[in-house]
Amino acid sequence: MIRLQNVYKEYTGKPALIDVNLHIGLGEFAFLTGPSGAGKSTLMRLLYREETPNKGIVTIGGVNITRLSPRQVPLLRRRLGIVFQDFKLLPKQSVFDNVAYVLRALGVDEKDVKRRVSSALAIVGLEEEQLELPENLSGGEQQRVGIARAIVNGPPVLLADEPTGNLDPQTSMEIVQLLERISQRGTTVLISTHDVPIVNAMRKRVISLKQGQVVSDVDSGVYEIETTR
Amino acid sequence: MRSLRILAAMFKETISGLKRGGWSNWLVISILTIALFIFGGLLQTTMVIKSMVTSWGSQLEISAYLKDGHDPQKVARIISQLPNVQIVEIVPKEVAWAEMQHNYKVAALNNPLPNTLHIKLTNLAAVETTAEKLKTISTIEHIRYPLKVARNLNRFRQFIEIAGIVVTAALSAATLIVIGNTVHLVIQSKQREIEILSLTGVSPWYIKGPFILQGALYGTVSATLAAIFIWTLHLYIDPYVHDQLLSFLPLSNHSMDVGLLPTFIIVLILGIAVGSGGSAWTSGRYIKI
Repeated sequence: MIRLQNVYKEYTGKPALIDVNLHIGLGEFAFLTGPSGAGKSTLMRLLYREETPNKGIVTIGGVNITRLSPRQVPLLRRRLGIVFQDFKLLPKQSVFDNVAYVLRALGVDEKDVKRRVSSALAIVGLEEEQLELPENLSGGEQQRVGIARAIVNGPPVLLADEPTGNLDPQTSMEIVQLLERISQRGTTVLISTHDVPIVNAMRKRVISLKQGQVVSDVDSGVYEIETTR
Repeated sequence: MRSLRILAAMFKETISGLKRGGWSNWLVISILTIALFIFGGLLQTTMVIKSMVTSWGSQLEISAYLKDGHDPQKVARIISQLPNVQIVEIVPKEVAWAEMQHNYKVAALNNPLPNTLHIKLTNLAAVETTAEKLKTISTIEHIRYPLKVARNLNRFRQFIEIAGIVVTAALSAATLIVIGNTVHLVIQSKQREIEILSLTGVSPWYIKGPFILQGALYGTVSATLAAIFIWTLHLYIDPYVHDQLLSFLPLSNHSMDVGLLPTFIIVLILGIAVGSGGSAWTSGRYIKI
């Protein structure tokens, strides 16, 4: 589903990713780990075409996204769900409206909006809170709203950039387990994180980056082993 | 249907942007209204002058004012021999003075007016050559003909046109700066929405559209206000100017009747262009998708 071939990216002469090769299959669940500055965010930004590589190819669902024209980028992003560390919720809109926001912008029929939002909120377990404002929710609940918004359009790929960065360990585990359940429904999930306990507890595929290079890629891996080796 | 829903959602975003603009909205509308009012006022003035020039400049008449002590009948006979002269009408100084005293209630003075001859010609092309010939007649003190005055008036109109363009351009530039700042503030306050929309694959047009619509709304409201002011001013001063000019100048009653609708349409188009153009430029500059 996601493939990177010999990807090289630099910022003002300083390499951020060096010769990265990677393949993540349909419905797969993987962690992207590494210390700050390892290149995790750069790799994520390449996947949702916020950046383009200086060299190499990035494909999603068989489409070479490095060659997309600016007009085609929105079409790619409709096939992706993105979850952010800081949730990026609209504070003056209810949970329902936050999740419905993008669907309405895409011109989806209001009946369909209701159906899809209710379904997404049911998946993240927030049916009862749909009329609440984000400020009345806990951090974990706010992140669930962010996840509901990311999956409401039924994307085949979900990218989560440090989704547990602002959460306590217990809530972090619940969020990652929620993302795993979403993956089990057939969505490819890639989580960028440096949350050691979570990665170690999940025993899923771990792709470790260090100084812009993939230093290990292990199924059922753990964080410490890959980064301290 | 889907396009309509997207358009409705865009309008909703536009209204939300206007709410966030607060008092800045009124600053933009005030400055744009002043700019459009000045532009529309000058445009209407030049159109009226143009109409007058056309109407007046095509009159085939020359007025010749005679020196004192010369017989107007004699001079009229000489002039009627000239080519292209159709009729020579004599207005004795006594008649002109009596009329002036009647119309303007002038104090009882010695009559300062000269005997006047109104010379009607058969051909517009002959106005200037005949005027030159009249100048050589020693008994004629001064001549005046509409074509010459029309030319001077035309120069005045051109001056107003250029002044209008300069003033409008300067005010439009000031308006663009204010619109740019206002829209920039709204963009900053909606940074999160813009980021969410951009990263979830909403089209750039949907993201930038509400800001452009906001600018177009500024233009529409300002143009409407400017049109109301121009119309009010027109209602107030038109009868006055009409009476004054028609009593002095040989104009037909309809030579100043220039409709306001074309001016209003041009003002509206300019308002929308400046408003939406300024917003489009600002959103293009500050919204990176």
